[in-house]
Amino acid sequence: MSSREEILKTAENLRWELGERFHDLTVEALYAEASRIARKTVSAAGTRPGFDFERALDRLVTGKWTGFPIMFALLGIVFWITIEGANVPSSFLASVLIDSLHPLLKETGSSFGFPWWLNGFLFDGMYLAVAWVVSVMLPPMAIFFPLFTIAEDFGYLPRVAFNLDALFRRAGAHGKQALTMAMGYGCNAAAIISTRIIDSPRERLIAILTNNFSLCNGRWPTQILMATIFIGALAPPLLSSAVSALAVVTVVVIGVAMTFIVSWGLSKTILKGQASFFSLELPPYRPPRIWQTVYTSVIDRTLIVLWRAVVWALPSGAVIWLVSNIHVGNASIAEHAIASLDPIGLLVGLNGVILLAYIIAIPANEIVIPTILMLTALVTGMTGVGSGAGVMFELESEAATAEVLRAGGWTLLTGINLMLFSLLHNPCSTTLYTIYKETGSAKWTTLSALLPLSIAFVVCFLVTQLWGLLF
Amino acid sequence: MTTFLILLAILLTGLAAASLIVRKRRIRARVAAEDALKHIFHCDSSGTPCTLNSLAGALSCPIDVAAEIAKTLGEQNLVAVRGSELALTSEGREYALKVIRVHRLWERHLADETMVGELEWHKEAEEKEHTLSHEEAESLSKRLGHPVYDPHGDPIPSPSGRLPGEPGKNLEAFREGETVRVVHVEDEPGNVYKDLVDAGLYPGLDVTIRERTDRGVVLEHEGRATFLPGVTAGNLRVERSTAPVKTGPRKTLASLKPGEMAVVTGISPACRGLQRRRLMDLGVVPGTRIAAELRSATGDPTAYRIRGATIALRREHAELVYVD
Repeated sequence: MSSREEILKTAENLRWELGERFHDLTVEALYAEASRIARKTVSAAGTRPGFDFERALDRLVTGKWTGFPIMFALLGIVFWITIEGANVPSSFLASVLIDSLHPLLKETGSSFGFPWWLNGFLFDGMYLAVAWVVSVMLPPMAIFFPLFTIAEDFGYLPRVAFNLDALFRRAGAHGKQALTMAMGYGCNAAAIISTRIIDSPRERLIAILTNNFSLCNGRWPTQILMATIFIGALAPPLLSSAVSALAVVTVVVIGVAMTFIVSWGLSKTILKGQASFFSLELPPYRPPRIWQTVYTSVIDRTLIVLWRAVVWALPSGAVIWLVSNIHVGNASIAEHAIASLDPIGLLVGLNGVILLAYIIAIPANEIVIPTILMLTALVTGMTGVGSGAGVMFELESEAATAEVLRAGGWTLLTGINLMLFSLLHNPCSTTLYTIYKETGSAKWTTLSALLPLSIAFVVCFLVTQLWGLLF
Repeated sequence: MTTFLILLAILLTGLAAASLIVRKRRIRARVAAEDALKHIFHCDSSGTPCTLNSLAGALSCPIDVAAEIAKTLGEQNLVAVRGSELALTSEGREYALKVIRVHRLWERHLADETMVGELEWHKEAEEKEHTLSHEEAESLSKRLGHPVYDPHGDPIPSPSGRLPGEPGKNLEAFREGETVRVVHVEDEPGNVYKDLVDAGLYPGLDVTIRERTDRGVVLEHEGRATFLPGVTAGNLRVERSTAPVKTGPRKTLASLKPGEMAVVTGISPACRGLQRRRLMDLGVVPGTRIAAELRSATGDPTAYRIRGATIALRREHAELVYVD
């Protein structure tokens, strides 16, 4: 052994001699050493008690006959608390931010001598969009996420994933996707962050790319409004609320079905080659630390998402106001855009107003309906509703809303297609930005926008064609 | 004026098409040259004579095309012709080893980092070996932890261009009743390789030679008996097993019912890369005691008690863990 070359050569030869088992042997040796030390120094306390509460609870929540009923009951309770509980703070926030503060701000602006366009741009555009997002988004998230985190903290959610995994396995996905889906019913952007719990790269991408099919809290009001106005109205008054509830549930079920179909398709095609492994820890049950949970879920989930939504809502509000107020020729930009989008919109059973609303209200689904109403009033030249071009509004009664929409040419078909489009279309820009942050890839972000969007167009197109044949 | 513009457009399109064709042809020529070098290298190391005929066969091209390729390689001082036989110069050998290194690294990557099936490894690596740059190959090697064998059991040439001899021996060298470990499963030709994969044979597996006839051998592994015709068996290389091993039916973690306990004896060699690492990270190593605890409401996955934690595994992964 004289020269450096020879030593390196020997090392190279030894590597081949060691061969493949080298890594395995290292890990095995580490474990052997660790357990040797543990045996010497750690003493275990006695045996298990005769009645093991955890085992009994586990058997109950993962039982063949008890597992699923318990899951559906708990999920139902969480949704009920969220929807009922959010009503009060939502309308409180709306009355403060939109009904009181908005006129006050405009007055203040005028008293400082702001020109009308600055006043409109700042307060009717930017401020109003943010106010809307905050008042619709904040309360349900502030209720849903802590409840969700408490269930997670207690240890129940991993058991849900455990029970549902067989279903997801068949779609090429991970059982934990059940949790990220459920999270998506609160907010898709927060759900995208929560896909970090899926430790297998392929399954995580599937969960990210399909999360959009979980109806987020910004889209629930759209669904409920459309179902009430167009579908519930078909039924006799006594049944109408049951029928519209059924219609919304149907949309949710379609969303779940789409999640499985698209997951399956992705795992069989573009994600076929990605590495995959399933393991799921079932942690011991712990009494949830309520206050800590509330604090962390408000900070980690709610506020981060809300902040992103606000950052996106500002420019969007500005754009909404500008397109409605800048005139080219004898009409506003919005009117020109609507006219050129109309043919495409009608082809898929929607209209130009809806498409434009989805384009300019991309930061948050919460402001889609107010934008649609404002644009409809704008193009139909309706007076007496809303407060002018570029000022989003909502109406107190559903009957009044229905009147505005019917004046805009809406039919039952438009209502159904809007429900489907709202379920299937691309995620909002807040979610897209989160997807980009999480995957670090422009490719996956683009796919996550274009895939649902094309599905939405195809589905709406087919429904419209079928409708034409049937009626 | 318009005529001139049209002519210009036609000319430009023609030029673009021509340059595309030239580029394609250049790539194709490079692929053929590199494949030829690989063939001559394999002849060299297996001690079989390499002729224009064998080269034409390996590249599936007419013999005069093979002659043309050999001539070009000769001009580049990569190949020397001795009589009717082709041999590599030292530069040619270095070049061939580089191509083989990329090929085997890529197969390792596919086996460890993706879910691409074993039957597609070779085909994908055949394309990658011509396109991956030296830097890309080195960073891949680094990411994979500088592997020394490809998933078929072939050694990966070192960056300095060294390569040990093929591991193991032919099955012929062992008697009936002996237990041997598979160290290499040849992936060419593809249909023979598919038979070996279908028979459930992969590097690292222990097999017992049960019967040897003129037509082939009967092997026993993991409790099943497989007959391999002579041609197929010739594509396996094996070595004597170091420790006494069982080749009978193996009990796996998946066979445990809730409440039962067993000790891990090993992880199937068919479990590679990410999956193997994750199992080992969870503490699934020989000697670990594992108890099945709970079945999901749908029957799969099952939760196991592993080193103080309750971990749910799917049946397909539990089947990869041998227990006793």
